[in-house]
Amino acid sequence: FQHTNFGWYLKARQGPANLKLKSTRGTDRPRRNVQFFFSVGYSVVAINHVVEFKEKKQEIEKPVAVSELFTSLPIVQGKSRPIKILTRLTIIVSDPSHCNVLRATSSRVRLYDIVAVFPKTEKLFHVACTHLDVDLVCITVTEKLPFYFRRPPINVAIDRGVSFELVYSPAIKDSTMRRYTISNALNLMQICKGKNVIISSAAERPLEIRGPYDVANLGLLFGLSESDAKAAVSTNCRAAILHGETRKTAFGIIATVKKPRPSEADDDSLPACKKAKCED
Amino acid sequence: MATLRRLREVPRHLLVCEKSNFGHDKSRHRHLVETHYHNYRVSFLIPECGILSKELKNLVMETGPYYFVKNLPLHELITHEFINTFVKKVFSLEPFVCHCVSASLRIPPSLCSCCALTYNTNIDEDNTAALLPNGKLILSLDKDTYEETGLQGHPSRYSGRKIMKFVVSIDLMDLSCNLDSKKYKRISWSFKEKKPLKFDFLLAWHHTGAEESAMMSYFSSYRIQEHQPKIAVSTMTDLQCPVLQSSELGGKPEVACGAWELLDWLGAVFSDVELNNEPNNFISTYCCPQPSTVVAKAYLCTITGFILPEKICLLLEQLCRYFDEPKLAPWVTLSVQGFADSPVSWREKEHGFRKGGEHLYNFVIFNNQDYWLQMAVGANDDCPP
Repeated sequence: FQHTNFGWYLKARQGPANLKLKSTRGTDRPRRNVQFFFSVGYSVVAINHVVEFKEKKQEIEKPVAVSELFTSLPIVQGKSRPIKILTRLTIIVSDPSHCNVLRATSSRVRLYDIVAVFPKTEKLFHVACTHLDVDLVCITVTEKLPFYFRRPPINVAIDRGVSFELVYSPAIKDSTMRRYTISNALNLMQICKGKNVIISSAAERPLEIRGPYDVANLGLLFGLSESDAKAAVSTNCRAAILHGETRKTAFGIIATVKKPRPSEADDDSLPACKKAKCED
Repeated sequence: MATLRRLREVPRHLLVCEKSNFGHDKSRHRHLVETHYHNYRVSFLIPECGILSKELKNLVMETGPYYFVKNLPLHELITHEFINTFVKKVFSLEPFVCHCVSASLRIPPSLCSCCALTYNTNIDEDNTAALLPNGKLILSLDKDTYEETGLQGHPSRYSGRKIMKFVVSIDLMDLSCNLDSKKYKRISWSFKEKKPLKFDFLLAWHHTGAEESAMMSYFSSYRIQEHQPKIAVSTMTDLQCPVLQSSELGGKPEVACGAWELLDWLGAVFSDVELNNEPNNFISTYCCPQPSTVVAKAYLCTITGFILPEKICLLLEQLCRYFDEPKLAPWVTLSVQGFADSPVSWREKEHGFRKGGEHLYNFVIFNNQDYWLQMAVGANDDCPP
C-alpha cells in the first residue's frame, strides 16, 4: 500500500532547502507545514510521497499539484527571492523487482521533480548507487544499519552525482533513534568524507522542523565539517534538484523550452547546414 | 576522533586590538572609520554621565536620513546622470576649472559620497549588491546569476568545496570617464537586457552644500521613502565597570583589565545582562571582569539605521572632545556594528556569513587622548586592516 505521508523540505538554490515534508492528502496539514518551513528560513521545500511495494501490483500516484495546496505562493517576510515548492518520490526497495518501476520509461516516476530510493539490503544499496536513475539514496536512521558501507559503490554514486540523505526528525522524537542516527551518519561520513550529503527533515508536524542553521549545526554532530554541514542544507540540495532536472533533459546538456516563434518564414528559408553554422 | 575534535572548536573569529593616540600623525583611526562603509548600529557608552551635552545631542539627532527604494533596477546605478549627481566627487583644483565643471553638473563644487546596500538579501544565499563611496559597485552573485549576467568577476573566497558565489566589481568612476567604451556597453547590456536585476536598496548620501531632497526627487519614479535612524537611550545606575589603563592593552592582573575582557563586558551591557553572577540566574552567569569599580550612572545611546561613516567620524571627534573639560569618567566607548549581509567589511575586503555575519569595531577613548581600537570579524571574513 502506499503512504502519501512524507514530505521533504528541500533547501536549494544555495538558500536553505529541506528535502522532506510529510504530506497527508486531503488535510490542511501540508499547507501549514510548508508555510512554517518558509517562515523558519528555508527557500525551497519538497513534498514527498513514499511508496513501498508490499503487494504485487502497485500504481504510483501522480504527484500532488502545488496549485492544489496553494492557489498563490505564500509571501514570506524577510526573503527577497520567491519560494519554491517541489514534489518528490521515495521508493522503499526491499526486493530487486521493485526497481523495475524506475526503469520503465512511461511510468509516473517522471512526473516528480526528485526521485529518491531507500534500499534495505546491501545488494540494493550497491545497485542504487551504481545503476539506478535516482537523485537521492536514503540512509536508514531509525535502526541499526543492516549492512556496512563500502567505498566502491559510494564513490561511484558521488561521481554520478547521486546524493546521500540523512533525516533528522526521528532523532528529535526519540533518544534511541538519536543514537542510531548519529552512529549511522558517522559510518557514512567515514567513507564518503562528507561529500554529497543532504540533511533533511521527515517532518509531519511543525514541531519537528528545525531552522536551516540549526540543521547545519546538527551536521557537525554527524561528522561533517562546518562548511560541509552548511553545504548539506544548501549547495548539495541544489545539486540534487539539478540532477533531478537532468532526468527530464538529454543527458543534462540540452533542454528544450517552448518558445513562441515570431516568424517561421525566415528560419525555413535557410538550408539546414547553414543554420547549424549560425548557431555556432 | 576528528568529529570530537571539531565539536570542541569554536567557529572561527578574529579580534584585532591596537592602541594609539589621537594626536599621533600616523593614527589610523580616521581611515578605519571612513573605510567601514555599511554601518548598522552605533552605540556609545559614557560612564559617570547622566545627560548628554548639547553638541553630542545635536550630532546624534543629525545622523542623517537614509532612503529605502523598492525594486530599483541595477542599471539605474550605472547611468551617467546618477554617477555625476551622487557618486562623483568634485575636487577644487583650480577655481576656474572647478567652476566650469560644476556649472555643467547640477551640484555646486563639494564633496559627496553615496552608499547603497541591498535590503532583505542574505549574503550566503541571495544576490547582493552594494555601492561604495569610492565609486565601486560590488555584486555578490550566486553561480546561476553570475553565469547569466555574463560579467567578469572572481570566485568568492568563502565558497566551500564547489564555487557557488562570485564577486563582480564595477568601478563607476572609471566607467563614467569613457561612456562609449566596450566595457560600459557590455555592462549596460547585461543590466538592461541580458539579466535585469532588481533589488530593494538602502541608500545614504553624504553631501556638503547640496539640496537636501535631491535623492528623493531623483528616484521619485520608484517608491522611495525617507527614514530617520532610530535612537534609543538609557541611563544605567550602579553599573560595574572594568578598570582600564590605557598603556596596558593586554591587561595587568590585579591592576587593569584587557581589551578583549572589555569587549565581552561591553557586549553584556548592550544586551542588558545581569553582571552579578547570581547562581539562580538562568540567562547568564557572566560577571564583570576584575578589577572593577561601580559607577553611579552611565549613559548609553544606540543609533540604528543605515549610517554613513562620515557621521561616525564626527561622533568620534566629538567624543574625543568630551575630555576637554575634566570629567569623572576615565574612558568612553564607541561601538559600531556593520550589516551582516554586506558583501564588504573594510574597504573592499570580502565579508561572508557562515553562521553569523558580524564585523564590528569598538573605540575606547581615554582622557589622555589615548585610544584602543578593537576590530572583530566572523568566520567568512578577511582579516581586518
